[in-house]
Parts: sequence; C-alpha cells; structure tokens
Amino acid sequence: MTDATAQSFIDTFERERASLPGADGWLAARREAAVRELADAGLPHRRLEDWKYTDLRDVLEKAAFTPAPVHQGAVFLSEEDTRNGAALFHAIDRYKIVFVNGRLNRALSDMEDLPEGVVLKPFADVLGEAWTKALIERRFEINWQAQSVSALNMALMADGVALHVEEGVTLDKPVHLIFLAADDGASHMRTLVRLEKQAQATVFETHASAGAAHYFVDLVTEVSLGVGATLNHIKLQDEAEDAVHLATMRAALADEAKLDSFTMIAGGGVSRGQTFVEFEGRAAEAHVNGAYALRGKQHADQFCVVDHAVPECNSHTHFKGVLDDESQGIFQGKVVVRPDAQQTDGRQMTNALLLSRDASINAKPELEIYADDVQCAHGSTIGELDKDALFYLRSRGIDEMTARQLLISAFLDEALDYAPHEEARAELKALVAGWFEAGNLSAEDIL
Amino acid sequence: MLEIKNLHVEVGGKEILKGIDLQIGAGEVHAIMGPNGSGKSTLSYVLSGREGYEVTQGSITYKGQDALAMSVDERAAAGIFLAFQYPIEIPGVTTMTFLKTALNAQRKARGEEELDAVKFLKLVREKAKPLNVSDEMLKRPLNVGFSGGEKKRAEILQMSILEPWLAILDETDSGLDIDALKVVSEGVNALRSPERSMLVITHYQRLLDYIVPDKVHVLSRGRIVKTGGKDLALELEKSGYAEYGADEAA
Repeated sequence: MTDATAQSFIDTFERERASLPGADGWLAARREAAVRELADAGLPHRRLEDWKYTDLRDVLEKAAFTPAPVHQGAVFLSEEDTRNGAALFHAIDRYKIVFVNGRLNRALSDMEDLPEGVVLKPFADVLGEAWTKALIERRFEINWQAQSVSALNMALMADGVALHVEEGVTLDKPVHLIFLAADDGASHMRTLVRLEKQAQATVFETHASAGAAHYFVDLVTEVSLGVGATLNHIKLQDEAEDAVHLATMRAALADEAKLDSFTMIAGGGVSRGQTFVEFEGRAAEAHVNGAYALRGKQHADQFCVVDHAVPECNSHTHFKGVLDDESQGIFQGKVVVRPDAQQTDGRQMTNALLLSRDASINAKPELEIYADDVQCAHGSTIGELDKDALFYLRSRGIDEMTARQLLISAFLDEALDYAPHEEARAELKALVAGWFEAGNLSAEDIL
Repeated sequence: MLEIKNLHVEVGGKEILKGIDLQIGAGEVHAIMGPNGSGKSTLSYVLSGREGYEVTQGSITYKGQDALAMSVDERAAAGIFLAFQYPIEIPGVTTMTFLKTALNAQRKARGEEELDAVKFLKLVREKAKPLNVSDEMLKRPLNVGFSGGEKKRAEILQMSILEPWLAILDETDSGLDIDALKVVSEGVNALRSPERSMLVITHYQRLLDYIVPDKVHVLSRGRIVKTGGKDLALELEKSGYAEYGADEAA
C-alpha cells in the first residue's frame, strides 16, 4: 500500500525524473524499479520490527517536507565556533567537498591536486564506470527491512560523491564531505567509496545546518573494500533540532580489509543511522562505533547489522550515549554468524547514561550464531551518574556542575577514543565539552 | 576549629548519632575509636556534607561558620577534607586531571589564582615522591585498579596537595600492611601543623602509634561515651569495646 508520504516522493520523482543523474542510462531502470518498490511497500512504519522505535512513515508524514530548492546566494561556513559541528575538522589538512541542500557546491569545495590513482567526483560524472554500477546495483545477502529505505534514495538521489582509490594507493589527506542544509526541504544523496587492493583512505562526514531549520537529509553510502584495503571513517551529525536525518551505510569487505567507522551524534531532531557490514573475504575487520549526546526532544536510532558469512573475521560495535531532558536513544544491533563463519570474533556493546527522568533508551543487541567455533559477546548497560563518584569529586571541592561534566566526559571519552583520527578525535572531544556549556545540566535535573 | 554540639543524625529514618559533642582546637589531633556500627563513618560523612544524612538536632560550627549551611564542595573549598575509608574509583578520569581540577576548583572558590600546568606538575611531583606515588599511577584513572595501599596513598596525596585545615581520616589504616601504614602515617604527620586539625577515625589502636593523638574519644551507639588522652587507646586495645556496649566482638 502506498502511503501518502511515499506517494509525494513518487510525485517528486515523476516531476524530476528527466533531470536526475543517469536519466538516459542504465540507472533509469533501477530508479523505476525502486519507485515500484516504494509504491508497493510504502515507507517503513513501526509495525515492522526493524522500525519499531522509529516510525519513519509517521515522522515524514507529520514533517511534510517539500524538495529542497537549489540554494541561491552565499553560504556562511563558520570555522571558528567549535560548538557548531559545521566548524569541525577545518584545521586538518584535507580535501573538502561541500554539498548545500543536497547539491555539490564547487565554489566551497576543494578537490584539486588529488594524487595519482584517486578519483573524487560527483557520482553523476562516473556513472559510466563499471565500479559505480556494481556498487549501485549491489544486493546484500540478507535483505533487512531496514534496507527498504534505500529504494527511496535510489529513486531520488540527485547528487553525491564517488571516491575511487587504485590498488596500493594511500590517499595522502582525509576527504571531508560536508553536507549543509541552507534551505528547508528534502534532499537525497549518494556516496560511493571503492578502495582497491591495499588502498587506504580516511573519510570525514559532517552533517549540519547552514541556516535551514526544517529539513530532511537522506543519504546512502556504499562502501566496497578490496583485499587488504583500509577505510577510516568519521561521521559527525550535528543537524538542526527540527531536522530528520536518515543515513544508511552498506559496506562489503574482501580478505583482510579493514573498516573503522565512528559516528558522533550531537544534533538532529529525528535521526536514524543504519550500518550494514558484509564480510566477503577472510580475516577482515570491521569497527562500527559511536557516541551520542542528546537533549530536548531529540530522537536518535542507531541500527547496525554485521553479517559474518565467511571465517576468521572480527567485528566490534560499541555505542555510548548520554541522554538529557526528554530525549530518546535507540540502539539496535545484530551480529549474524553464519554456518561457514568459523573463528569469528564478534563484539557488540552499548552503554547509556540517563541524565533526566524523562529521557529514555531502548537497547536491543542481538547475536544470531550458526557456527560453533566462534567468540561472540554482546551487552548493554543503562544507568545514571554514580552518586558516590559525584560525592567523592565534590568532597574535593569540585562543584556539582563540573563534577557531572567530568563524569559524563569520562563516560563518552571511552567511545570517542575509537574515532580513527587523532586530530579529529580531539575536535570531537572539544565539541562534547561545548555540548555541556550550551546545555542545561542544572542541579534541578539530578535524579 | 571545629565545634560539634548535640549532633543528632538520621539515615533513612534511623537515628545513628544521638547527641555528639566534640570540640577540636587548631593544631589538635583527635582520635575517634569505637566498634563497628557505632556511627564513626556517619560522623565523617556528616562533617563532609554527604546527602542522605539528616541532621535532626544540633550544630556543626567550622571556623566560626555554620558548616551545615554549606554544600559539600563549599566545605571542601573552606578546608574540610575527608580521606575515605573506601576511595571511589573514577573510570576515565586520570589521577592527574582529577588533582588539577580539584586544586584549581578550590583555589577559584577561594578567589586565588589557578595553577598553570607547569607549576601544578612541579607541585604534584614534590608531594608524590615521599608517598611513593609514581608518575605511572598519576596517569591511571583515579583509584581504578589501585591496590588498597595505593588507594590510601592517593588519598593522602590529595590531602597534601589540597592542604585542608581540618582533615578527617576515616579508617585510613584499614587494608594497609605495616610498611604502607608507615608511609601513609608519615605523610599525615608531615601535614601536622599548629593551624591544622585532624580527626582520626579508627577501629584499632595500631594507627595511633604512628599518628599520635592529643585526645581519644570512644564512640558507641551514637554517643561519645569516654574521652581521654592517647593512653585511652592502649587501654581499649587490651580491654576491647565490650564495656562500652559493643554489639559485636571487636
């Protein structure tokens, strides 16, 4: 059954189809198929287990987004206010690709002087290449309900970036993808990353508002790592408080490939981050970690599936978060170890700290194991600030607010330490410190 | 320095302290001894301002001020220090960071200039050396994975850096072997001065061989039942607490 909101997206597609990238090539048929899929299934809703805690259909229906316009005029990029996520990572030498309202802004971007063997282009420019087609058409072994939203993205993706690194090449500087919303509305983007054998790259991703308040970001990131390739990935989500953020990353790893991904969620109204990892080769390694600091009525849902289909792979997932006011956090994680995946090492952990009586967290870490020679562990803790620790700190003259900040920072730092880039990690820690200052960690909140 | 008058304290609706009177002058060291459950730790927590300890009657006057009107951190900044019987583990906060935050918080509260990193490091090294607190220990999260002796040495290090006017030592001897006890006691004795007072809470006389008190009080069932000189501790060691109505064998 097509719901009204799915229909409005389909209407957008009908209006814009001729101008969407790949309209006259193989992608057109894929988009048609995606539209049919969207029409049949509609947007996901809470009766689907994977969407139990985030009723995307309801959220998008209430928000009633119209397509984001092409932004006119300048965009102000603050590089100094470290409390604003958009200002992060600017001190780090990097290639910069800026999207405004879902469209590449060349004037703000700096993607010149790439080393030999590296392609970094809008994906529309490389649709003719075999690797982009392979990535876009890729199907994962297990089809999760959570993946159904990729049809929405497939139908409407209007811009995005493709990064390709040739065999044995190490990208000398991080690639920083900055997604800014300057005007209200919905935007749909796609990132494609392919690292060939033994290639290495670091990708930063920032999502923030540059003036927009009520907007929808829909991003799908497709990652494919060749034998022994390494991708370090840091994503910072600091959207406006009335924004809806939907991001899906799907990664496939060949033998001995390594994915090290870290997500920090600081801002956004409703957000859903999905990560799917599929091991295709032996002895590969995936780290999917993150931290979040929520307040107000923020709702952040992290959904992570790691599929061990082959032997000897390691996966590590750890999310830690603090929740204040009436915020809601969700962690749904699943590690699947299929019959052939002997000698798997799969770890999954989530810890949440509730700072207010009205904040809530739903944690669902799951293991599904069909092999017998494996090491797997999962766990979840939910707690509040340790009163004994607070008393101890205060008995040394540290005021209550500082004592609380110290304990919360210590809690989040353990997760932030996973961020696979030293300078970026330090900037994320500074952002978290700013979160406290901007916040309302008042004495009245004490449980 | 400290004047406690007719102090009654309830914890969870149960009266634990039933009328304590105690005066400690500047430079004096008093010991409080007593059986388990007599209210020794309650007294130390009430003095430091811990929540959940309700004063139903009486007063605590510290340096002429009503201590009960002050918060935990205000009391600390005013110079009240409690060395914990069981120091709390703080994962993720290194001992060094903690010490610096605490010292500068107190200095700030007193309107003094905060110490910069260089001066602070010099101060810590100077104070840590006699207590055998290594740099490696200072880099570890506070009290996490510390042995019993390390925890107590870390407490005394905090005390010697914060330089309180009233130090309350709650069973500082528990869990210490004789060598560690010596190191800790020397650390405490080094802080004795005509302006600094101490309240040493202990179950055993042993500690008082090293930290020699001016007065000894026996606390039993929430009341001070006897006060004497340092010899009282020796008597107690021989006779036990039975005559003071101990509920259990000491």
